[in-house]
Amino acid sequence: MKITVGKGSCGIAAGAGEIFSLLEQKAPAGCPVVVTGCIGMCYLEPIVNIETDDKNITFVKVNAEAADEILKYINGEENKASQYIIEREDLDNLNSQQRIALQNCGIIDPENIGEYIAREGYKAAEKCIKELTPEQVIDEIKISGLSGRGGAGFSTAFKWNAARSSKGDKKYVICNADEGDPGAFMDRAVIEGDPHAVIEGMLIAAYAIGADEGIVYVRAEYPLAIIRLELALKQAREKNLLGENIFGCDFCFDIRIKAGAGAFVCGEETALIASLEGERGMPRLKPPFPAEKGFWKKPSNINNVETYSNVPWIIRNGGAAFASMGTENSKGTKVFALTGKIAKGGLVEIPMGKTIYDVVYGVGGGIKDGKKFKAVQMGGPSGGCIPAELIDTMIDYKTLVAAGAMMGSGGMVVMDETTCMVDMARFFLDFTVKESCGKCIHCRIGNQRMLEILDRICDGNGREDDIELLSDLALQIKDGSLCALGQTAPNPVLTTLRYFLNEYEDHIKNKKCTAHQCKALLTYFIDNDKCTGCTLCAKKCPNKAISGEVKKAHSIDMEKCIKCGKCADACRFKAVVVD
Amino acid sequence: MSEIRLNIDGIEVTGFKGQTILDIAKENGIDIPTLCHDERVEIYGSCGLCVVEAEGTSKLLRSCSTFAANGMIIKTNTDRTRKNRQTALELLLSDHTGDCRAPCVLACPAQTECQGYVKFIAEGKYDEAVKLIKEKIPFPSSIGRVCPHPCEEACRRELVEEPISICSLKQFAGDIDLDKDELYTAEAGNPTGKNVAIIGGGPGGLTAAYFLRLQGHGVIIYDAMPQMGGMLQYGIPEYRLPKKILQEEIKSIEKMGVIFKNNIKIGRDITLDYLRNNYDAVIVAVGAWTSTGLRCKGEELDGVVGGIDFLRGVATTTDNNYDFTGCKIAIVGGGNTAMDACRTAVRLGAAEVYNIYRRTKNEMPAEQIEIEEAEEEGVIFKNLTNPIEITGDNGKVKAMRLQIMELGEPDASGRRSPVPVPGKEEIIEVDTVIVAIGQKLDKAGFEEIEQTKWGTIIADENTCRTNLNGVFAVGDATNNGADIAIAAIGEAKQAAETVGKYLNGENIKYEKPYLVKTEKTREDFADREILSRVKMPQRPAGERRKDFLEINLGLSEDAAKKEALRCLECGCHDFYECKLINYANQYKVQPEKYSGKTHRYIQDDIQSCIELNHEKCILCGMCVRICDEVVGATLLGFVNRGFDTVVKPAFDIGSCEADCVSCGKCVEGCPTGALYKKASK
Repeated sequence: MKITVGKGSCGIAAGAGEIFSLLEQKAPAGCPVVVTGCIGMCYLEPIVNIETDDKNITFVKVNAEAADEILKYINGEENKASQYIIEREDLDNLNSQQRIALQNCGIIDPENIGEYIAREGYKAAEKCIKELTPEQVIDEIKISGLSGRGGAGFSTAFKWNAARSSKGDKKYVICNADEGDPGAFMDRAVIEGDPHAVIEGMLIAAYAIGADEGIVYVRAEYPLAIIRLELALKQAREKNLLGENIFGCDFCFDIRIKAGAGAFVCGEETALIASLEGERGMPRLKPPFPAEKGFWKKPSNINNVETYSNVPWIIRNGGAAFASMGTENSKGTKVFALTGKIAKGGLVEIPMGKTIYDVVYGVGGGIKDGKKFKAVQMGGPSGGCIPAELIDTMIDYKTLVAAGAMMGSGGMVVMDETTCMVDMARFFLDFTVKESCGKCIHCRIGNQRMLEILDRICDGNGREDDIELLSDLALQIKDGSLCALGQTAPNPVLTTLRYFLNEYEDHIKNKKCTAHQCKALLTYFIDNDKCTGCTLCAKKCPNKAISGEVKKAHSIDMEKCIKCGKCADACRFKAVVVD
Repeated sequence: MSEIRLNIDGIEVTGFKGQTILDIAKENGIDIPTLCHDERVEIYGSCGLCVVEAEGTSKLLRSCSTFAANGMIIKTNTDRTRKNRQTALELLLSDHTGDCRAPCVLACPAQTECQGYVKFIAEGKYDEAVKLIKEKIPFPSSIGRVCPHPCEEACRRELVEEPISICSLKQFAGDIDLDKDELYTAEAGNPTGKNVAIIGGGPGGLTAAYFLRLQGHGVIIYDAMPQMGGMLQYGIPEYRLPKKILQEEIKSIEKMGVIFKNNIKIGRDITLDYLRNNYDAVIVAVGAWTSTGLRCKGEELDGVVGGIDFLRGVATTTDNNYDFTGCKIAIVGGGNTAMDACRTAVRLGAAEVYNIYRRTKNEMPAEQIEIEEAEEEGVIFKNLTNPIEITGDNGKVKAMRLQIMELGEPDASGRRSPVPVPGKEEIIEVDTVIVAIGQKLDKAGFEEIEQTKWGTIIADENTCRTNLNGVFAVGDATNNGADIAIAAIGEAKQAAETVGKYLNGENIKYEKPYLVKTEKTREDFADREILSRVKMPQRPAGERRKDFLEINLGLSEDAAKKEALRCLECGCHDFYECKLINYANQYKVQPEKYSGKTHRYIQDDIQSCIELNHEKCILCGMCVRICDEVVGATLLGFVNRGFDTVVKPAFDIGSCEADCVSCGKCVEGCPTGALYKKASK
């Protein structure tokens, strides 16, 4: 028997650390308690798995009480553990996914290389180094149709080939783990849950392009990922899976970690290189591409975490098997981080070609609290939104771009009827404005000006020509910015203008926010017919804006009202009306 | 290196592999704008102005960093590139909070380089000061004596204590030049073979002549009076502007090759048509030489005379026609001409000089100093009085009946209108009444030119064009009528420019240039030391009222320098070199639509002699890169992110003092006026 506790960052945040210690202390002898990474069902954390010879039971939302019941169950005592067993539906959701990048996440102990090796770990690297030429490796990747999972979706084989063809005595393999999109945590989960998959992917890439040095650029805000990766590197070195003469061949490769200081723009590969070199993280113009002149001006291959973690599977199962999944343009699977107003938020991995509907209403379990689905923001601050009427849009690089969104790195923020789309666009633009490196004019000042326009629209001071000004400026910024951050920053504004123009017009012309999010545009009043004079609202009001006699209709003084909404929440008779 | 061929803007050009599009365009004389590119440093690509379109590419390419390839077809000046550049410039300017030009310069109708010459004076570079003044005004000594100096009204030193004495400083510089054997004279341009006739040799006509000669055109001035100078010669009294000084400055214009024809009046001696037929262009600068009548009973009496007629008479008289000894003289009017007439009357020995003005001293259009000085010299101000009738004896003025007035509601001009106090009158005995209430154009000879209903010539505000082809008009004769000399000078300079274009067959189109301007308040200068304004030394009133010798004694060198050092240097030092403002005007920017948050930082001292004005910094990184890549010092860096990014000593360590060798390369590289090398003290 074995007890496994999901101890990814999400699990720990939900209390898995405490549960783990508790179980570890009290578990009977011969029943080891081990950790695993995130299995993706963040909404069910902490998750504890009991593995016996014949079965596997998953307990969810495990608190101290539940842990006790689980222990009783293990000890064969009378218990109430069954109420914590995962629901059939959730299990089906998990099993319905096609997991390649996440194949080991939430299953193996990421701190034990043996568990990775037991699941065919490092077999792919061994095959490449011992049996295949670098060209053959690249060919296999080419057959797989794997494209960069960091956002741009550029062909991985093409990049590898370019780095391979570039002349140079020294080459680098770099892993971009500077995951920065708000609401995205795919890469963190992969490193925390299956670090060796990334190491093995890099190892294969290094062999393919002829590099002997690898760097993982990971943001310092991912401390657990860094710890697990460090441990994994150490264990890999001990087994000579990194270092000199790997697999007894004359191929040498090692990896080190560079912790980034958390600048979003450092996810842009030229800024990442600048940061690696100790410079301010500012993008430069391409060409030359990193494959020609990268880190220290040497040929460098930069891929995202998820991209590398797909590589071992592809080599083991063949490029064709990978390419058999997905659409004509987009092969394999994609990991998404589902967040926002979704019922079952977390990480999911599905084959390309599924629809937004499949994700939101399938794996995601629909909208929280039975509310109405409005849109989904894909690709983070660089992406765009897909509205409810386009819910059948296929998950495919080209199709998403045509709809105004993008695959991005996998952030999927779900929005319901209570989301103001102008405010949403403002949120993402505010993010990019803060994260702009400040180098080029269009991005530095242009996005700031767009944000100011959105601010005034949300504050009820929108001007008649603001929509035109926004659209015009957005196009100029896209055209004139130096790097992808600036070029894509106006996307949330452009797609909301495209699909939710009526909301902008409501804000500007009618001074109304139909989603009731923009405070400056809201008015609160009490419906005299419904008010029973219970005085509850007046008691809850933090600014003494509500007055009235007991058992008589109350009224709100708009001069004093701070539009906090406490009265509406408190009223049991739906007498507080928000408009 | 292998040669490549490409097509830029339809021109087949060749370059070498490894060269950027910008490099090759530059070599072939194709201008692509850029604010951040410099051959000395590595490609950077921050400004985005150098974008071009390439056939087969949907994106705009930054030409500074895109390497040219064989067969490329490049377009540098498409609607798309222009629009994108314009947006970049507008965005930059939406957060550019400096002042391109100082308020004094902008307030001057002739855009005199006040800040520049004041600084030269502060530095003791008097020749440079004169040279700079003469770029805009051909007669600094004269104008320095008479100008009512709108520049000083705009001067921001007022926000500290009092404005700089800009005009006296101009006189100071001009006088130093006058003391030399030969005045500084700008050189006439290479002869163009074109000839311009100017009618009227006053400040406007002379200025037009000066600037046309600089362009190399032949110039002849026709003037009705025996001497050139116009109102400066015949309107301004000797005690304010000694004629010797004026004539000496005028002589320097004659020296440039301007032909003076005096005693010739249009409509009497020759016709406008004659000039139009015999010259390539004509500029009318005849001024307004007819006094406006008083329109009250008795104005036809002997002893009633127009203000400017009186002043002209005094200026031209050879005998004692104007002996006022023991006389009582009344001067009607509140302007500078009235003051000149009052003070002239005093000097002619009048027993009593009355100034009749229907409002109070506060509403007088005359300069405050003129009023004060007149009062010191004994002029009796009869404010709030208005002539009703001039009575006579044997056709000769005897007395004046005055209506007592009081101030009523403000009128359209904001001044309170005078209204009669019913039944209150006063009679004063006078021998002469001088009417100085206005002046107008003598139309004779100019009937063909379209005129306003007030009888002034209609001239285009920007081009000075009249309805007649090739005829331009400036000064008191035009539009709103009589104004100050410097206004005529400003218009004349403008006219000389457009006449020049007209003579070259160019389209005369004037567009108001875009300039960055900011408002400042007292708080902005709260840290300045209070330094009071210099006082022009004067002869005592009792002494000066007896003669026509100049009343002002001029500033001493010490006083002038001290005064000049008070200058706040509001305008950008790099105005003429600033690439940003140059492009801004080229691309006709309208940054107002993007107005929003701006950066108002305090100036940073990078080290003791280099100052960085963040308000003007465009973050092109030129200084940072030059200090790193050219100098090898790496003393500057970027601090903060996004919109709040600023250039500072690297890692924001405070100052570069310890390691900076003051090479100044960062300052030279700055495309705007953000970096400034302070004068060594």
